Amino acid sequence: MPLLDIEDLHVQVEDQVILGGVHLTVAPGEVHAVMGPNGSGKSTLANVVAGRPGYEVLRGTVRLGGEDITHASPEERALLGLFLAFQYPIEIPGVSNMEFLKAAIDSHALARGEGAPSAAAFIRRARATAERLGLDAGFLKRGVNEGFSGGEKKRNEILQMLLLEPRIAILDETDSGLDVDAMQVVAAGVNDFRDTGNAVILVTHYQRLLDYIVPDHVHVLAGGTIIRSGDRSLAQTLDRDGYGWIEDAC
Amino acid sequence: MPASPQAAEALYARLLGKGAVSYARAIDRDAARARIAADGLPVPRAEAWKYTNVAKWYQAALAPAEAPSVGETCVPDGVELHRFDDPAAAPLLTKHLGTAIDLARHPLAAVNRILLGSGVVVRVPAGCRIDEPVNVDDIGAAYEHILLIVEPGAELALVETPISATHRVVECIVAEGARLRHRRVQPQGQAPQCGLIAARVEQEAQYSLWLVARGTELRRNDIHIALTGRGAEAHLHGAWRLGEREHLDNQVTVDHLAPDCLSRQTFRGVVGGRARAVLNGRIHIAAGAQASDASLTTKSLLESTEAEVYAKPELEIYANDVRCSHGATVGALDEAMLFYCESRGIDRDAARGLLLRGFLREAIVGEEAMSVLAADFSGAGQSLGAAPAEDVARAGGEAQ
Repeated sequence: MPLLDIEDLHVQVEDQVILGGVHLTVAPGEVHAVMGPNGSGKSTLANVVAGRPGYEVLRGTVRLGGEDITHASPEERALLGLFLAFQYPIEIPGVSNMEFLKAAIDSHALARGEGAPSAAAFIRRARATAERLGLDAGFLKRGVNEGFSGGEKKRNEILQMLLLEPRIAILDETDSGLDVDAMQVVAAGVNDFRDTGNAVILVTHYQRLLDYIVPDHVHVLAGGTIIRSGDRSLAQTLDRDGYGWIEDAC
Repeated sequence: MPASPQAAEALYARLLGKGAVSYARAIDRDAARARIAADGLPVPRAEAWKYTNVAKWYQAALAPAEAPSVGETCVPDGVELHRFDDPAAAPLLTKHLGTAIDLARHPLAAVNRILLGSGVVVRVPAGCRIDEPVNVDDIGAAYEHILLIVEPGAELALVETPISATHRVVECIVAEGARLRHRRVQPQGQAPQCGLIAARVEQEAQYSLWLVARGTELRRNDIHIALTGRGAEAHLHGAWRLGEREHLDNQVTVDHLAPDCLSRQTFRGVVGGRARAVLNGRIHIAAGAQASDASLTTKSLLESTEAEVYAKPELEIYANDVRCSHGATVGALDEAMLFYCESRGIDRDAARGLLLRGFLREAIVGEEAMSVLAADFSGAGQSLGAAPAEDVARAGGEAQ
């Protein structure tokens, strides 16, 4: 059974149709890259799958592990194992990263019918994971994304992903605004995360990230539909030739 | 309680009638009587009472006074504490009582003086630094006065919780180089309550206020801090949360009367139901108070469409070399923040609790404050109780 199955998804935002029939099937163990020019609907796809308010699904279904989540709340989707790494992570002043992460972890544990981990066990694990991403211990005490640099925000998204252990992670332009060093750290985190039971969707504008996280499938989204799918070489072609040839070919 | 115009007249008559008072007769009440006789009582139309129906308070003010019964207030070694009716208090009262209070601006303080039923004076001798906080909760009367004298170089932390007083005055004399950390906790209640916090902060001295408030049917805090000596500082932090038909009116004035003084004011309020919250924050910089540095920020979150927030910073600047800033915002909980939490599996109620606690912590940190303000918020992760490090720094020493 596919982990994520998007079928004929039509979505509008404020009376404008952004997605006009997207099909995408992701199996366990796979990494998919969704690429496309600006305004093609990549971020809309990521957000609508995560259940962000403001997007109206006109038609189609989204299934996670066989369960229809097309109209589920964002929280239900998260607890079923979906994770969205935000393109622009939100700042929450006054709430520490640690408190935020603990609240999220506890919710997941509760949903699995388990007890919340002890504060000590959680802190140990959070610190160790942060360290792997090159984030010092003080980072966990700071307000969520408050005053973080662009790179810190993206690393914080990966930290959350590693701690929440989703079944499917959608990374919305996680590479944007990262220098090469930060991108390598982020990519190492994603590669650590990958295993045969989970899957990753990389939404990206550039193929640069795909040098570090090698996708199994590459899709090109343009004009609200996936107009071409292929293997990694499709991304390399896009990088060399731009998007013009594909749009012309449509 | 319906407001009655007769209540003010009846109160006025009682204030000017002689012999009604038996507590601490030695205290001078003449100036207060003269002030009431000259100015009368505030009328509901007065600008200073625009948002709070003072007539409602007059009705409560007329309620028969309970016999003063001062509870045991323990003070650490080195601190002197006397009730006002104790002869040992007399020299301190003669020298200090009322010296930080402008009765013309605070007519209810004149009412308090005339009807005073209980008072304590706390003196911290020069150079004496007290780590252990002094707790003054109920001191047992409808009209109460707490007089604090922190002598030069001394330090004190005061924690007070006015519970049943109709009107409480806290008068603080913070002498040269002294420090006073004042924590006020106002739990949820019923009866109308008004009060005045007045502080005179002398050269290089520091006064800090940490105010945590819930609502009552009518609650008003007049706060008047006078920075009278060069280099004096005031740090005011307040957080409140109101619901139903609760009412909280905070009228704050910081007077910069000497050069090189600094004041910081940070307030956060969460207001729901049909409650009304008011913050009037006046910063007055007198001519000659050069190099003053003053700021005030207040943010409010509305939790319902019927809640009301009035946030009014007022700047009056008569000096030409000052740094002065203010900001006021009113809004609802940010949907993007809520979605961010929900996308991590935190349900909406818990997310709301998390965000509201974070919001209030921008003004005040500490589990004690959260237990008063946010005990009923749902949400996991409370056990960590961790506040962001920079907020701890921002809230400064008054959060200990």
